[in-house]
Amino acid sequence: MFDLLREGLPLFFNFQALLLTALGIVGGLVIGVLPGLGPLMGIVLLLPLAFHLPPIAAMGMLIAIYVGGSAGGSVSSILLRIPGTPLAAATLFDGYPMAQQGRAQDAVGLALTSSALGGLIAGLMLVFFSPLLAQFALRFAPPEYFAMAVLGVLTIALVSEGSALKGLLAGGLGLFLSMIGTDEFTNAYRFTFGDFRLSSGPHLVAVVVGLFALSEIFSQLEAGNYLAKPTVQRLRISFRALRLVMTHKFNLLRSSMIGTFFGAVPGAGGDVSAFISYAAAKRFARADEKYGEGAEGGVVATEAANNGCCGGALIPTLSLGIPGDASTAVLMGALILFGFFPGPDLFRDSPDVAGGIFIAYIMANIMLLVLGIILAPIFGSVLKLRKAWLLPAVLLLSTLGTYSLQNSIFDLWVMLTFGVVGYVLRRAGYPLAPLIIGMILGGIMEANLRRSLLISRDGLGIFFERPICATILAIDLFLLLSIIYSTVRSSRKGAGENEKEDPQIT
Amino acid sequence: MSRFRAHAFDWIACLFFASIPVVIFWQTATSLAEQDAASGGPLDNAAFYPRLIAALISVAVTIHGIRLLFGRVQDQSTFKAETGTRLGVFLTILFLVYLLVLPYAGFHIATPILLIMMTRALGLGLLSALAGSVVMWLGTSFVFEGLLNVVLPVGMFNITIFS
Repeated sequence: MFDLLREGLPLFFNFQALLLTALGIVGGLVIGVLPGLGPLMGIVLLLPLAFHLPPIAAMGMLIAIYVGGSAGGSVSSILLRIPGTPLAAATLFDGYPMAQQGRAQDAVGLALTSSALGGLIAGLMLVFFSPLLAQFALRFAPPEYFAMAVLGVLTIALVSEGSALKGLLAGGLGLFLSMIGTDEFTNAYRFTFGDFRLSSGPHLVAVVVGLFALSEIFSQLEAGNYLAKPTVQRLRISFRALRLVMTHKFNLLRSSMIGTFFGAVPGAGGDVSAFISYAAAKRFARADEKYGEGAEGGVVATEAANNGCCGGALIPTLSLGIPGDASTAVLMGALILFGFFPGPDLFRDSPDVAGGIFIAYIMANIMLLVLGIILAPIFGSVLKLRKAWLLPAVLLLSTLGTYSLQNSIFDLWVMLTFGVVGYVLRRAGYPLAPLIIGMILGGIMEANLRRSLLISRDGLGIFFERPICATILAIDLFLLLSIIYSTVRSSRKGAGENEKEDPQIT
Repeated sequence: MSRFRAHAFDWIACLFFASIPVVIFWQTATSLAEQDAASGGPLDNAAFYPRLIAALISVAVTIHGIRLLFGRVQDQSTFKAETGTRLGVFLTILFLVYLLVLPYAGFHIATPILLIMMTRALGLGLLSALAGSVVMWLGTSFVFEGLLNVVLPVGMFNITIFS
């Protein structure tokens, strides 16, 4: 465990990596503060830029955006009663009443401090559990990797918001996108339609930017209010929250653990963990703590949990190659594009990189603690930023970032195409995370399926004779049955509701 | 018809998903067969896995299509226009034109025009739209062209500013 950290130290502790991590925290906080944009959007926007940087400095920046963005959403929850990100939805239960009582400064301070400390506790668990899990995964061979990749796609499909069947279809689209290009076994061109620009498939980053950034721009354009400028309370630099949070230390520890656990379960996400830890904090609260009316414990619980979730989500991502959520899927995609494959191989072949990522995550949380307090006064100004400025800036950054990947205008067309696809899918209620996870895991799934069949001389027995593989496949089957069950159940409900809404439809 | 209207986006998405297995089966039967990569063992058969995925998507899309047809989908996705839908369509077309023009006009001509038109369309005053667009264009050009050494599209006039 400490060997990994020791090996990662020289990679991370240099001026460039530290500066980029600090900038990532600032950028993440700013993006998280703005309602509608979240950590995922921040990662997506700066992902193309990351490929111009050394791997650990770039991963430090992206992880810092993930951490800062997850924490920043609380600010608009507290000041405006609009969660900056879905992760911060539970924070407004007590954060907003605190602001109404004239304690906005304390609420924001508590939220950011709890986020940072929750993230640090999750960081310790990440450092402890990831190598253990990776050690176990060293027993994996192609059949197990295939079964794990199937598990990743099915889990995200099942637990993503909306219908599980839609999640499965989105995952299927991702798997299809991963097939486009040159087949690594035969060198045959697949689904390129004779266009050499597709010989390596659509670039992952162009697809991600289109799906998330462009479709978000379309949605924000539709919503109107381009010149709206909210009135917000003024904040100042104060370290009082550090003292306040210590009066909730057990709540902080419990919530961080809950966040880490739910983060490590692929797809469960920070919003779920925030609500669960809020419920737990309320259950164990003192009689004089009035939850829902401005209790400090409520803010501590939700924010420690949703940032703890970030560290938790990195555990299966780094040790098994199974992303915990859409943000970690994009982080994993970035790591793959840098030439490092998450999973046990990462810990065995590049322990310095694994250690560097651990340190980057821990340092990001330390910087969040410091910068979150120091930068508090600018959050009010950020919230006043008009959409009329924000949307062109996001479009310009998306365009330049995507173009700069390969100096290719074709990538911009890919981005626009997936912007439209993303918009239609969002309007139709399809989750987008399974698509990205399918695209990332698709290559791993196919390669390991074919390798397994090659080893077994085309027999399927190899998948059932190996105990670990058979167990994972049994879980896969259980998840598939759960998707079928939830589809049948929602179909029944759908019929009932439609009958209520429109009596003509029978 | 009312069912189609209530789930318009869902139907479009369903047709889109239905087209994926069609493309996979068509391409494996034509392009991959011509390349001699559509049969044989796992090492030679580049069509086996795509066909497997296509079959799974076909099953899922058929189930979803049946649910849509019989009104068993809970969430509606109508074509209802929102406040900014018209502007959104206009700006999407503007961006499409920008992408068409970009290789010929170059980044330093096409981008400020796009930004000015966009900020004006979003309701900003002429002066602030002009000033803001120029700052955004020059600022991002400096970062990408000057600091990151990205060769931005130079167009027929070969214009570069920071490199």
